[in-house]
Order: sequence, then C-alpha cells, then structure tokens
Amino acid sequence: MKNVIVFIEHTGGKPRRVALECATKAREIADALGGAVQAVVLGKESNAVAEQLKAYPIDKIHVGEDSDVDAYVVDPQVDYLEAVARAAGPSLILVPYTMIGRDVGSRLAARLGAGITADIVDLAVRDGRVNCVSPKLGGLTITTCTFKSEYGVAAIRPNSFKAQPSAGAGEVVTLTKPAGKAYVMKVDDEVVEAAGEVGVEESSIVVSGGRGVGGPEPFKTILKDLADALGGSVGASRAAVDAGWIPHSHQVGQTGKTISPQLYIAVGISGAIQHKVGMRTSGTIVAINKDGSVPIGEFADLLVVGDLFQIVPELTKAIKATAASHA
Amino acid sequence: MKILVTVKLVPDTNADKRIDPATKRLVRTGVETVLNPFDEYALEAALQLKEKLGGDSTVTVVTMAPETGKEVVRKALAMGADDAVMLSDPGCEGSDVYGTAYALAAAIKKTGFDLVLCGTQSTDAITGELPGALAEFLGVPGLTYVRKLDVDGTTLKAERETDVGYLKVSAPLPALISVTKSINEPRYPSLKGIMGAKKKTIAPLTLADLSLDRPVGSEGAKTELVALAEPPPRSKGKVVQVADGAEGARVIVDFLREKKLI
Repeated sequence: MKNVIVFIEHTGGKPRRVALECATKAREIADALGGAVQAVVLGKESNAVAEQLKAYPIDKIHVGEDSDVDAYVVDPQVDYLEAVARAAGPSLILVPYTMIGRDVGSRLAARLGAGITADIVDLAVRDGRVNCVSPKLGGLTITTCTFKSEYGVAAIRPNSFKAQPSAGAGEVVTLTKPAGKAYVMKVDDEVVEAAGEVGVEESSIVVSGGRGVGGPEPFKTILKDLADALGGSVGASRAAVDAGWIPHSHQVGQTGKTISPQLYIAVGISGAIQHKVGMRTSGTIVAINKDGSVPIGEFADLLVVGDLFQIVPELTKAIKATAASHA
Repeated sequence: MKILVTVKLVPDTNADKRIDPATKRLVRTGVETVLNPFDEYALEAALQLKEKLGGDSTVTVVTMAPETGKEVVRKALAMGADDAVMLSDPGCEGSDVYGTAYALAAAIKKTGFDLVLCGTQSTDAITGELPGALAEFLGVPGLTYVRKLDVDGTTLKAERETDVGYLKVSAPLPALISVTKSINEPRYPSLKGIMGAKKKTIAPLTLADLSLDRPVGSEGAKTELVALAEPPPRSKGKVVQVADGAEGARVIVDFLREKKLI
C-alpha cells in the first residue's frame, strides 16, 4: 500500500476534529510510504468542509455533496469510498473509531478484501509496512498489527494524534455518483436531543458521574456546568446508565466507550474494572469521591476525598475564574 | 419469521484479567467463559420480536466457537432461543474480523434468515466491526447502534443512536441490525428454560459444510499481530482529604495548573 485515504466525518459544516487528526497523521504515513494523501468528504455541506480541509496537508480532496448520503444509512458512503480506493490502488484507509467510522470502515474492508484494525492509537511505517497500535482487553495489553492485504483499513481512536494545520496541494475533485445503486436503509427523520454537544469519544476533557452522584439531576446541573466550564463533555459509569440517569451514549467502560481524553474527571465513581478499562489510557485522571479507599485511588493521578456536591460547584467557579483572568 | 442472533463467547467481563508474560496470552485459569454481554441484548430483542409476531417465528443462535463452548451456548437456549448453530473448526482459529465475518456469513446463509441481530461489539476484542462486515458479506442492508426496533414481517423501523440524538430509519427485510444496551433489559433464564435448553438442538457445522472459496483462520487473516507489549504502568497518585468544597476545588485547580491542563 502506498497512498493514504482519509474518510472525513463532519457535522454542522465542519470536519470533526478526529478527521483533522487523521489527515495530519496521514501525511507522515504517506510520506514514509512514498504516496499521496487523499481525503473523501461526503454528504451535505461537503464543499464547505473541503474548503476548510485545504489548511491541512492533503494532496487531493474528493467531494461528493450528494443528498443520498444523508437520506440513506452508510451504503452511499461505502460506494463512494470504494470508488476512490479502487482508483487510488492499494492504500491505507483511515476512518475514525466512531459510530459512523466503524460502520463505513468495516463495510469497506469487506468490499475491498482488506484487513481492518480497530481502536488504533498510533500508526507507524516499519520496513514499508504500516503498523497499527491498539490497546486490547481493556488496555491489558498493547498490540501492534500490520496488514497482509493490499488495502488496509485502520479505525483511529479520537485524541490519538494532534491536528496540525499545514496546507497541502488541496486539489478539490468532485466525485461522480456511483452508478446502478439502489439504497433501502432510509433515514425518515433525524432527532437532535443534545445540539452542539461533542461526544465523549472526541472530547479532550470528560467529566463523568457514577453511582455517587445519586440521581439524574447532577448530570444536567453540576457535572454539566463543570464540563461546560472546561469545554468538555459529560460521561457516566455503567451504574449511572443502568439506573437510567443518563443515556447509554455517555457510558464509559467495557460495555460503553473506550476513550483517551487529555483529562478525565471521575465524580462519585469507584473505578471498578469495568469502568477502568474504558478510561485508563486518559492523559490525566482526577477522581472525586467521599471514600478514600475506592479502587480508582489506585490509578488516578489525584483522588480528592470529600463531598462531591460541595467540591464540583466550587471547582466550576474556580475554573471560570481562572478562564476569566486569562481572557 | 426467521430471526438469527450472532453470539460470541468471551472471558467474563467482571473478572480482573491478566496476560501471561511468558506466553503473551490471556490467563484463562479462573476466568469463566460467558456469552458476550452485548449479545444478550440482541437475543432479548429477538425473543421480544418472536413473542410479538407469534406464529411460526423462530430464534436461532449462531456462533463460531470451539466445541467446549457448548454449555455457554446453552445459556442462550435457556433464555428462550429455539435452537443453535455452532461453527466449530480448528480452521477457524486465528480468524480476524474479516475471516470471522466471512465464515459466519456463510453459516448464516446456509441456515437461512429474515433478520440477523447482533450485539454492538464484543467485550474482549471491542472492535465493533463485525456487524458491518457481516451485512456486507450477507449482501443485505445493515443498521448498527439500534436502540429501538420494530418489525412487522416485511419491513423494519428502528432508531439508530447518534452522538447528538438518533435517526429514525426504515428498511425492507431481510436485514441485519446491531443493537445497543439501551434497547432492553435481557431476561434471566427461568428454571423451566434451563431444563428445556437441554433438549434443544445445537447443530454442529464445520468449514467443510460451508464450502468457502477462501481460507479463514490464521491462513485467511488479512491482519497479522507483530508485537504485544505491556501498557505503560499507571501508578497510584496523590490522595488528598479535604474539609470542604473550596479546599477540594483549590487542590484540583492547583493540580491542573501544575499539569498545564488549565
């Protein structure tokens, strides 16, 4: 494989940060392989997104602003990507390890007879082969895998690479609609419940609540306020999700999401193994708990023992004051 | 309607697992093999559909696992599945996502289906890539991350989770759906179910029964493991007992400043 193709996930007319992280890393990999970086942007507002991608080190930006992409689930995207990949020849295809990226990546790999690696936190080229690094078994072991196939798909965990603007050739190419396709998985409606929110997978700061927060309210009040003050997202432990306090999409852990934010603040979470495996690779872990002997104390960088209902609002105030003094 | 549910056998989610430094494999001693917890939601969704649709609807569990996993498959039968198909073959060992999906798709096609239900991901590999690849190999429309599902025999209506809410989606059958844990609360097997499961059929399949046109297992794998390493250790940090909220906030702010996080 020689070229690197990046699937650009975007929302609200902007590329998701993970797409820019992948585009930045793609340059390094393509340079090592002696190939080019191509990006693929599909669906509504693609042309606007393509303009923003010009600031990143991409050689060619393929655009398919086709209403079918948003009207039908996943298949149109796979068709477009397959066409780009076949035209490019043996390539490494980067997709984000997100709900949409996993779908697109797995289907594309099946079509191309490509190997797929998931939840990748690092990429490197050794002896002309692409090495994909991923923590497995909840971070118990770190695996390095490579491809035996001509094409390879790597699903990249958000926050694994830095997104660094550095303009490339940025040639914009309009894609031709794949012919002879009939789509059936139809989107009848899109319901937005939390507009403008960034998912826990992509946030660089996550404030999570567990059993200790005692009910649904704190997720909407004190935890949300702290997350907002830090520019982060609200996460949750299994106990909180199972109790129905917050939707499953916020769950961090073995039966939820595995994330690596720069900062993880665990509020009222004991840190049982099922939670630990979802967040142990976070940059810095701060825990707030009334019990000083909770398991999270064994791997948190800081455990503050006290009343979360007093500490969290005070912390929000202090963060806001810090931000104001910097403004 | 014929409903198939894919299940995987995984090491117990709640066990504190470790890797043997010598063999670089998971130490299985003392770690029970269980049904992948995510698959229980798919099975529950299948059972609820069967109960709703009535008539001659059936629920069949499909798995790729060594024969020693039979007793775990019985748990799915005890929950209420009608029968199971078990693909056991040394040639499956070392299959990656591609090979697993390819072989399972062949087993599913051979069994016949109107609807395939999967869990979102397994708790051991956590790739979340199988449902998509499976739909592709089956040549049917696929929808993942479904939190609500209704099927009337010829079409499905579903709610697919997104980061900011959900999509309402509809499609004709046959199709493949993967479900999230928001969809239901899986039932526990009843005593009657456990007793009844002993009489239910677990049909064995081998690769020879599937006449695949390409190898699976290690030979057919599209990816290869080149190294295993121990994760960087995460050591115990500071523990600070605070008297009130203001002190707690101060301790955290000082720490975050020191780490240059604010």
